[in-house]
Amino acid sequence: MFDWVHNVPILSIVCYIPLAGALIVMFAMKSSQTATIRKFATGVAVLDFFVSLPLWFAFDRDGALFQFMESVPWIETIGVRYEFGIDGIALLLILLTTLLGVLAFLSSWSAVHDREKEYYIFLLLLQTGMIGVFCALDFFLFYVFWEVMLVPMYFLIGIWGGKRKLYAAIKFFLYTLAGSVLMLLGILALYFYNAGGLLGWQGLGNPESFSVTQFHAIAASIPADLQFWIFLAFFVGFAIKVPMFPFHTWLPDAHVEAPTAGSVILAGVLLKMGTYGFLRFSLPILPQATVELMPWVAALSLVGIIYGALVAMAQKDMKKLVAYSSVSHMGFVMLGMFALNGPGLNGSVLQMINHGISTGALFLLVGIVYERRHTRLIADYGGISAVMPLYATIFLIITMSSIGLPVLNGFIGEFTILIGAFNRNWWWALIAALGIVLGAAYMLWMYQRVFFGPITHDENRSLKDLNGREILYLAPLVILCFWIGLYPKPFLAVLEKPVNFLVERVDPTYAAEAVAASPAVPSTAVPAAAAVGE
Amino acid sequence: MPNVDHFLLLAPEILLAAAGLLLLLAGAIGRGVSNRESAFVAMFGLVCTGGLLFWVNYVTPERLLILGDSFVLDGFSFFWKLLALVATALTVLLSIGFLEEGRYRGSEFYALLLFATCGMLFMASGYTLLTIWISLETMALASYILAGYFKREVRSNEAALKYFILGALSSGVLLYGISLLYGAAGTVQLAELSQRLAEADAQGSMLVPLGWLLLAAGLFFKVSAVPFHIWTPDVYVGAPTPVTAWLAVASKGASFAILLRIFYEGLISLRVEWQTVVAVVAVATMVWGNLAALTQDNVKRMLAYSSIAHAGYVLLGVLAISEVGLWSVLFYMLAYTFITMGAFGTVILLERREYAGETCADYAGLSRRSPFLAAMMLLFLIALTGIPPTGGFVGKFYLFAAALQGGWTWVAVIGVLTSALSLYYYFRIVVFMYLKDSDASTPIPVRSPALVGAIAFCALATLILGIMPGPFIEFAKSSLLPLP
Repeated sequence: MFDWVHNVPILSIVCYIPLAGALIVMFAMKSSQTATIRKFATGVAVLDFFVSLPLWFAFDRDGALFQFMESVPWIETIGVRYEFGIDGIALLLILLTTLLGVLAFLSSWSAVHDREKEYYIFLLLLQTGMIGVFCALDFFLFYVFWEVMLVPMYFLIGIWGGKRKLYAAIKFFLYTLAGSVLMLLGILALYFYNAGGLLGWQGLGNPESFSVTQFHAIAASIPADLQFWIFLAFFVGFAIKVPMFPFHTWLPDAHVEAPTAGSVILAGVLLKMGTYGFLRFSLPILPQATVELMPWVAALSLVGIIYGALVAMAQKDMKKLVAYSSVSHMGFVMLGMFALNGPGLNGSVLQMINHGISTGALFLLVGIVYERRHTRLIADYGGISAVMPLYATIFLIITMSSIGLPVLNGFIGEFTILIGAFNRNWWWALIAALGIVLGAAYMLWMYQRVFFGPITHDENRSLKDLNGREILYLAPLVILCFWIGLYPKPFLAVLEKPVNFLVERVDPTYAAEAVAASPAVPSTAVPAAAAVGE
Repeated sequence: MPNVDHFLLLAPEILLAAAGLLLLLAGAIGRGVSNRESAFVAMFGLVCTGGLLFWVNYVTPERLLILGDSFVLDGFSFFWKLLALVATALTVLLSIGFLEEGRYRGSEFYALLLFATCGMLFMASGYTLLTIWISLETMALASYILAGYFKREVRSNEAALKYFILGALSSGVLLYGISLLYGAAGTVQLAELSQRLAEADAQGSMLVPLGWLLLAAGLFFKVSAVPFHIWTPDVYVGAPTPVTAWLAVASKGASFAILLRIFYEGLISLRVEWQTVVAVVAVATMVWGNLAALTQDNVKRMLAYSSIAHAGYVLLGVLAISEVGLWSVLFYMLAYTFITMGAFGTVILLERREYAGETCADYAGLSRRSPFLAAMMLLFLIALTGIPPTGGFVGKFYLFAAALQGGWTWVAVIGVLTSALSLYYYFRIVVFMYLKDSDASTPIPVRSPALVGAIAFCALATLILGIMPGPFIEFAKSSLLPLP
């Protein structure tokens, strides 16, 4: 039924539908036609979601690692190719992106009334940039999407943000850019090492290429000291994006100031680009450095988990609380990843999706009361479960999902991550478990203060419960929470292949064998097939 | 003996000089020609010169030295000549409305522009230190006058005077360096120079290090590298904006052409020494150019510091002494030409009455008042920052690549970090254009179709260089200098 998907450049289509939509809005619609623009842009997002759905059905769980490949020369003279292709990880993230995209558009209808034409253009461009990041299998192309995406996000925060929007927008942009330019040097080092060599290292003499699969193939022959430096360069770029503990300071500002849709996309998708970067590039291309630096990265993740949770507990602003909870949750994702074993990596990827769903939903929920009351302070609410029962129910479900209650999605992710962490080092699991307890504490405490008790503010008595549109965009997330929580198998099935690929690369016992097998002098090119180790 | 055929190969330069003379004469007879007519003559001259250039390039497929080995015809000179012509043609388009508004006479302006461009063509082909120096002076003298062309403006006068005094000083330094090198080597011809300098250096001649250092200082002045950049901000701000654009693009490009030619052909035997100096200068230029730009409120001044910073990035490519380094410099200057011309073009369009519209605050609410202009400016600023999909990104990408490959990792690291920093000041304008509202809400009248056309062309070129850079990289790769 879905065979046709393999005969069309489906990834490019999914990637460029929003761009085409943005161009149509830009050139064919007047700023005054707000209702038309709104409906058209949302329609484009819905279309893109439905076009991306066949990917899920046509994806061959037992097939090649990367599927739906598209590869044409782009800048031949320097070996850049236009290469798209996805594995199970990218598949899930693309679906998450297109789904959250639809919800973000729907939630903007009532939230944005100013300069709507530009708003929807930027939101559509952002979609293209994010999908491109997950599709690209050429490092140059990846970097292009990675940076292009910053511009619309900058405007979303800067134009439609809160009081300190200018500061937050430029801080977001500068942090990410500073990280990514260092990553750029890492990319270049790989590029030169693969071809003619650089600095003291003699190159492998392969044709010039930015191809990720090519880099995967030569991973075993990259000398350890070069791996170390490239890893550091990548680490700065990705860790800022995740964000990991000392690099996280842009996140609360950006989240709090961004409009609801911006926050949803920021938390739901943008942060995943950092962890995706680690999974796609750092781990498989630089396995030795990964293993070597594992304790350090894990330590930073643990600090992030505890620190994020403690700071979240002290917040008075709901949005800020959710923002800091992201720091904590992304710490879990990083910890699971750097456990470097099957359960850890599985849980890590699953938790990326879970975090996108539950944090995205939390931002949407906070946005809903903010639109009604124009305040996000916890102290301004209290007892509103009486006036907004449906809202309170959904909020409760999402809260439970966020703190990892069984039957819901968060539990599956966090539990597998804990297993992975425990297998690597039992006290990692101990500290992480403490983080879960803290997470439950700040979330439940916030829930209690907002929803229970007497209504202390009279304005809250007349709050309206969810309307149809709001239910429409919250429902898919609630369904996903239960689906992943009760039956995660379909999701784990698509992850099996890429996770095995990573485990073979980076699990220390496996990596030790690989090192022993590879020649001591790295100047000799290792045949691609032997290095991939599939 | 100079061959008559060889003078035929000078046809582009001769034609351009003739067009300049024609304009000068026409302007002096009777009431002279109108601004538009002179602009037309200048454009026509530039286009014909371009045509002849292609012809000369066609008949000399191999590197050819003529006129007693003082004039070289190769891919490298062809590239820079073409670039100079394109930049000057864009400057003409930028100037038409501007001169009319200021009520200044056009014929002399365009004549000077053509003479200076003629000097640039000679610079690109100069193969002895003296040919290079004389052609450089041809360009420089014309540009001093151009900087002061708005004679009723105090700032324009100031700019011209500063430019002239400091420029004359640097030319003197340059010439002194040349004379010392001549003393050490007994020749000014680049190919011989390199060889003899090595010998003289081996004998421990003090003239050699002193000579090349002075020569380098003069060249750094011309490309406005730190610490020889002091003239740049004042001159850029004071000069009529089309002239500023031309100085930032064409003049800088031609100066980089001779810098590469001299370093790569004349001083290549001393490369270990000058690489260190270039590395230090490049770092100082990138750091200071970007830091100083952070605090500028005047857009022209900010663009002046940014042009200093960009000279620093280009020096990364010079530093590498590799194929990648060379073509990345060429490609970057190509992209930089369109980006900078476009950015200055937008500034010109906004300048009402000769010097208004220069501070960042004048850009407030531009996205509402003129969405087209704001979008164009946004594109150019993104390109200057080096964000894809623009030519600025591809260019910078490979400049850093060249530095990394050449083993200058620390310089490349400083380069990328300062480049990220530059986002802050470029986006200050974006903040005003898109994120702030202005009191005035009247749409901005778009006056000059030539100017708007030039801006749109630059925007298109910026995008094409970013999305389809392949053919242009090929072109740059076919225009390299011989490498050791």
